[in-house]
Amino acid sequence: MKKRILALTLAAAVLAVFALAGDVTLDVKEHVLGNGMKILMIPKPGVPRVVCHIYFRVGSINERPGITGSAHVHEHLMFKGTEVMGVTDYAAESKIDAEIDALMDKIYRERFWKDGGDAAQIAAWQKKVDELVAAQKAYIIKDDLWTRYMSNGGTGLNASTSQETTGYYVTLPSNKVELQMLMESDRLMNARFREFYSEKDVIMEERRLSENQPGYFFGEQVDAAFYTASPYHWDVIGWMDDLKKMTKKDLIDFHDTYYVPNNAVAIYVGDFDPQAIVAMAEKYFGRIPKGPDLEPIRTGEPAQYSEKRFYGEGPAPTSLRMMFHIPPDGHPDAAALGILAGTLGSGGGGMGPRGGGGGGGTGRLYKTLVRDKQMAVSASASSRPQWYVGAFQFNATPRLDKGVKPEDLEKEIWAEIDKVKKDGLTEEELQKAKNKGEAAFVRSLASTAGLASRVGRAELKRGWRSILTDLDGLKKVTNDDIKRVAAKYFVKDNSLTAIYTRKSGR
Amino acid sequence: MKRTIIAILALTLLCSGLGLAQAKHPSELKYPGLKYDPPDPKAFRTVYAGGIRAYVQEDHGLPLFNITAVFNCGDLYVPKDKAGLGRVLGDQLIKGGTASREGTAIEERIDFLGGSLNFMVQERTAMLSLSVLTKDLDEGLALFFDVLRNPAFREEPLKLAKARFIEQLRQANDQPNAVLSREYEKVLYGDNALTWQPTKATYESIGVADLKAFHAKHFTPRNVILAVAGDFTKAALKAKIDKLASGWKGGAPALPALPKSFPSHEPGVYFIQKAINQGYISLGHLGLEDTNPDYFAVQVMNFILGGGSFTSRITTKVRSDEGLSYNQGSRFAYRWGFPGTFSGYVQTKSSTVGYAISLILAEFDRIRKEPVSDAEMETAINYYLESFADGFQSSLQTMMSFANLEMTGKPMDYYKTFRSKIQAVTKARVQEVAQKYIHPDQAVIMIVGDFEPCNKGGDKWPGPLDKLGKLHRIDLIDPMTGQVAKTP
Repeated sequence: MKKRILALTLAAAVLAVFALAGDVTLDVKEHVLGNGMKILMIPKPGVPRVVCHIYFRVGSINERPGITGSAHVHEHLMFKGTEVMGVTDYAAESKIDAEIDALMDKIYRERFWKDGGDAAQIAAWQKKVDELVAAQKAYIIKDDLWTRYMSNGGTGLNASTSQETTGYYVTLPSNKVELQMLMESDRLMNARFREFYSEKDVIMEERRLSENQPGYFFGEQVDAAFYTASPYHWDVIGWMDDLKKMTKKDLIDFHDTYYVPNNAVAIYVGDFDPQAIVAMAEKYFGRIPKGPDLEPIRTGEPAQYSEKRFYGEGPAPTSLRMMFHIPPDGHPDAAALGILAGTLGSGGGGMGPRGGGGGGGTGRLYKTLVRDKQMAVSASASSRPQWYVGAFQFNATPRLDKGVKPEDLEKEIWAEIDKVKKDGLTEEELQKAKNKGEAAFVRSLASTAGLASRVGRAELKRGWRSILTDLDGLKKVTNDDIKRVAAKYFVKDNSLTAIYTRKSGR
Repeated sequence: MKRTIIAILALTLLCSGLGLAQAKHPSELKYPGLKYDPPDPKAFRTVYAGGIRAYVQEDHGLPLFNITAVFNCGDLYVPKDKAGLGRVLGDQLIKGGTASREGTAIEERIDFLGGSLNFMVQERTAMLSLSVLTKDLDEGLALFFDVLRNPAFREEPLKLAKARFIEQLRQANDQPNAVLSREYEKVLYGDNALTWQPTKATYESIGVADLKAFHAKHFTPRNVILAVAGDFTKAALKAKIDKLASGWKGGAPALPALPKSFPSHEPGVYFIQKAINQGYISLGHLGLEDTNPDYFAVQVMNFILGGGSFTSRITTKVRSDEGLSYNQGSRFAYRWGFPGTFSGYVQTKSSTVGYAISLILAEFDRIRKEPVSDAEMETAINYYLESFADGFQSSLQTMMSFANLEMTGKPMDYYKTFRSKIQAVTKARVQEVAQKYIHPDQAVIMIVGDFEPCNKGGDKWPGPLDKLGKLHRIDLIDPMTGQVAKTP
């Protein structure tokens, strides 16, 4: 007992870190639990709400062929209950669940290991499974965690999986943060993946929703061609084959490997007392044993050495996409590449369905290709450093009414690239990019959930202070840096060009 | 054994005294009390020169300045042969420049300051929004008022905008969801300003004079409400705005009356062919206005039916139990001045389209026939009560909410009385409004999908789809001409 109080006293000595950008402070309070889990806090006194997010250093890049999509499937299964949540009689329910798993294992082996398998045998097993599922239902409290959050005023309730991270979100009244600590720590320790098989059906429907967005299949193939070796090769949703065949055991292994406190950060933004947060975190998250250390991703993207070209037809608008490999997040060239993307591409994206004006058609591509030459409906650029391998991308849609082809836009974009290689940017363009970076930083501090997401994710890779050092890096970029990175990365052998033409079909 | 129990008891007492008791289940948690009173709109309302109404909050947390002007004007006030004018105006108010500045110069300057200036025209409101750092307040505010008051609508940018919008018409039938919502509303509202779509001809007919006339009529000081929040003092801001607005004249414009009743539709299945692997489905009919006294009971009822995400019946049945879909539920959409729509919605693979629809219809039926449970009521009502403060987290958003209340003529004590009106909803009222506002027998069941596999159905619900009602096949419109398309 005494020991426990001592631990609390230590925990209360919260480390506050102040960092400055211009005149504005990003103040993140930090606390590390004994098991390695990090607690970050950004107090914003006022309206009695607290944004509560947890991020895990795991995403689709931690998968391999055979289990692609499993980070996202796992995220869904985290809502299916624990030993105490979502179930009325765990002992009785878990017995049925084990029987279902055993039968499904037989079905999977028959169906997927053999060529088609014995249909009558599969049907007989499936009938038993259906009966067991019906029996199990008597013990299941549907979406218990979700209901608890909602009936306690939880908003922004969601979870998301990206290539690199997985996050679980809820915003609660200030007096109910303990609910989040309890339920999140409980599912970290005791998640039970009930209804695994019907949830996979839900996720296959989710994949079909993407597939029915015009151009999705082409885009998926282009990405797979661009990233040949690194695990960015597949989309977060995963290949349909893997979704069908992955087993519950795959997911349990995944959970046990990555869902450990030393691989997680919890962040709180809102109206709270940091000492109370730390005390609660010690109590709930602190009880979870530390897991083994996790090795970073091994496979990067090998040099390309020759240009790639990709052609496709389908039901989406005729378009051009050009991609270049760039270094990952944290590399010294990232800032110059970010400035280039903004200066070339700003305001040149497609117009939203409501036709919101403004936002500025100030990018070079907009001014040249959309406004002056009137060759494109839209022309934009983006730079995505990502955690392990980066991509710089140009997108443009031609003016078909003027007989312009994607290849014509490709030539124009190369001409713009060559101008940058030779002369770089103007002083005003450079200053503008720096002003925009600084203003965007100040604006990000005004948000709650957005700030939690940015700080929490940054913490998992290079620490949250990287937000500030990146801003400093941006301010130091010179025109020589711009010319140098343009010459280094914008070369044909480092590129993929994708040309898509509208035609009926998929 | 006894000693252990005592020891545990002592430990629990001690721990709870220190706030250390570790709960195993949420039902064990006890929360400290929390009282929250929403801000009072009156405390923020002010009037500037020319009768400009405004809701203004000083917020010195960060060196930012945000202002939004909400005008009473939108697509609904545009004649049929000029459909798309709202969209063109949305683009050209800024890009068309002002009397003294080219549009490009305005965009360049705002961008250089790291700010943003955006304008959009919606159904009945149009909004101009500026966000700049406090150090740029004067310059930003001057640009903001210049754009509001003196747009020039130059010929060249207008020509470019029209050409781009016409090019974009090619995409109007690409997204299954966009096709679904457009055609669903066409059946429910019939042929009027709510459903008119731009075509190549209507875009081409829009000229500088149209934009100038529309602007002159609607952009008057008596037809706007400002929402302002940021790092300034109210007195200093008033002096600046009064100066920038001086000489701006004009009363509230006479606006056309809006239709309150709509042609009756034939219930049944409406099918739109698209070669995709799911059916995108909406089923329902017209709903009610959010000024209707039944609004609060309807909100609670729909939360239980299909609006409350995973706690709702439709999600539990269609997604969680059956694994038929990722996205499903029911919604009452609200529109200012006339009834919105009620719809159940789902997207599911072709073979389960009929089955998913049958499950949603069964839920429509059940909430009409049976009282909801105590637990469902508790979850729904607690959600609204406990999440109430969420809407006031951002000072700008709060000012916007107040501006919208006044613009749409809702009572200014709307937020003050919101929770008591939710609390007053009973199980009997839920059933009553379900019977009043949900009519499965009158439902339009609209499906965008691949007809053959959808019509065939599957084991649990074999087709054909006309088991659900009379089948109507709808041909897609060629967005360029507004006429029936030659090929799908």
